[in-house]
Amino acid sequence: MIIEAIDVTKVYETRGVETRALDDVSLALGKGEFTALAGPSGSGKTTLLNLLGALDTPTSGKIQLDGVELSDLSASALSALRLRKLGFVFQAYNLIPVLSARENVEFVMELQGISLKERRKRADEVLERVELGGLGDKRPLEMSGGQQQRVAVARAIASRPSIVLADEPTANLDSGTAQRLLDLMLQLNREDGVTFLFSTHDPLVMDSARRLVRLRDGKIIGDETKAPSST
Amino acid sequence: MMTLRMAWRNVWRNPRRTAVVLSAISIGIGGCIVAMAINLGMMAGMVDTAIESGLAHLQVHGDGWEKDAKLEIRLMQGGESIARALDEIPEIESWAPRLRAEGLAASPRASVGVSIAGVDPIREAGVSTAADSIAEGRWLGEPRHVVLGHRLAKRLNTKIAGKIVLSVQDLNGELTGQAFRIAGVIRSGGRDLDDGIVFMRLDDAQALVRMGDAISEIAIVTSDRERVDTIALQLRSILGSGPEVRTWEQLEPLLVYMIDSFDSIAWIIYAAVFIAMAFGIANVLLMAVFERTREIGMMRAIGMERGRVVAMVVIESSIVTLMGLVLGVAFALLGIWLIGDGIDISKWAGSLDEYGIESVLKPRMRRSDLVAPILIGALTAIISSLWPAIRAGRAKPADALRQV
Repeated sequence: MIIEAIDVTKVYETRGVETRALDDVSLALGKGEFTALAGPSGSGKTTLLNLLGALDTPTSGKIQLDGVELSDLSASALSALRLRKLGFVFQAYNLIPVLSARENVEFVMELQGISLKERRKRADEVLERVELGGLGDKRPLEMSGGQQQRVAVARAIASRPSIVLADEPTANLDSGTAQRLLDLMLQLNREDGVTFLFSTHDPLVMDSARRLVRLRDGKIIGDETKAPSST
Repeated sequence: MMTLRMAWRNVWRNPRRTAVVLSAISIGIGGCIVAMAINLGMMAGMVDTAIESGLAHLQVHGDGWEKDAKLEIRLMQGGESIARALDEIPEIESWAPRLRAEGLAASPRASVGVSIAGVDPIREAGVSTAADSIAEGRWLGEPRHVVLGHRLAKRLNTKIAGKIVLSVQDLNGELTGQAFRIAGVIRSGGRDLDDGIVFMRLDDAQALVRMGDAISEIAIVTSDRERVDTIALQLRSILGSGPEVRTWEQLEPLLVYMIDSFDSIAWIIYAAVFIAMAFGIANVLLMAVFERTREIGMMRAIGMERGRVVAMVVIESSIVTLMGLVLGVAFALLGIWLIGDGIDISKWAGSLDEYGIESVLKPRMRRSDLVAPILIGALTAIISSLWPAIRAGRAKPADALRQV
């Protein structure tokens, strides 16, 4: 297993009021999966994604990433782990506006300590891979939403993570653009073996996912694996 | 490298905001340097005026003068033995013997208490500006002539070539007096020379107070005012116990106190400017960091270390500070150059010369006056950026990502 949540509960407290965002959830993901966490707003999908992405800590239960127990790690060790093992794609693209597309892709690799020559080469390769070969010098604000999200995908995969976690990656895109982005991610999954986990309530993503984990009120209410899609 | 590039571009992300911070820093630093230069110019002017009006750099008196400056405390034989010692020290540029006495000057219309200075007309010109400040008539030369300040002449209601009678107590305590003709009138701008002193030839003064060939003091001017303490030590070791050697700072402690007070006030002003600057920078940076909460959260999420986030914000502040410092110093140098001939404040402060402050303020700058505001400015900017920087570094990635 790449990543595993075991009996995980997350309780938020706001002004003395407790909200149980996740209730005793267990989930394991293997290499090469293309899985969607689906459910309505407030079902706990983003919370689960944040916990699996070492962005937050569970109230109880364990998260393991490549066999490493996350609750044993310090904030700085978690930061290093996110850098080495995880790739992130966010709903609002979240690119660094002052950097060009290529620099955004290079940024994570620079944090990883990869040499300038190597990261420049890899950045151009992944930009090519997400069909943005000619747009490396463009700044995010000079690009469309779909293009920005492709840069975000390129950034997530450039560091060669164990898994890419994508929080509602198509929510801000029109259906055509969303479909093209999904096709790209499926292709990366199929051809390059990149493991993806999405949180979504977009039917397009749910349809494309090979495994669909349904959440409601902080509990997993369904977990189905589908036959490989023809796309 | 990427952090530096990002910091540089972030600086220009909101040019208007950067311009505001740059203005705050450069005006703060530039203003401080110019204020410091004007302040120093004013202080130096006060010291120069006092020194040139007769204080000189050093004075030698007979033992006991400091406690009780009376006629009996004198240097015998015209201070000949001391004069020989002075010639041994190459840094001593000039010296002049003086006889000091207090007396009453009377014209046909008024009488005024005065200070009498018996001087060697040629040597005195080397230690004070009295001879150069003659506005009417001429400097001392002929016997039984005096030179006095224009204000004193006005108070005595007399003028050039007029006669005054000087009454003094001589060395034996006898009251004595003589008539003198006014040879010249001084207009120096300083109160001492313009209002208080009556100059006469040394031999006339010696005869007036029946001092023989004795004198009261030797005024000394050195080639380097900053080294007077060392020269005084050297002179004391040559002269041994007996004569009192004192520097201008020891002779005029009030002047030193005033300079120190002005310096303290200047530092209070600088502190106020820098504290205001610090809050300004912290405020702008906090806004900038707050606006980028989501972006910083994303950077933390993808693995950017907290220290690196802090460093990025501090680098951003340092870039702005550095530019502000360069601009500020340039403004200051330009400002000092523009007012290099001095600011004439006589219209607003006509009576400042009472305190030895010249009515034209000329800025002066020491290297340290440039270094201190720059270092304090840089430190202020960096310290004030730490709070926003640490705040940015503390952002929890998940919380930060929830921000819109």
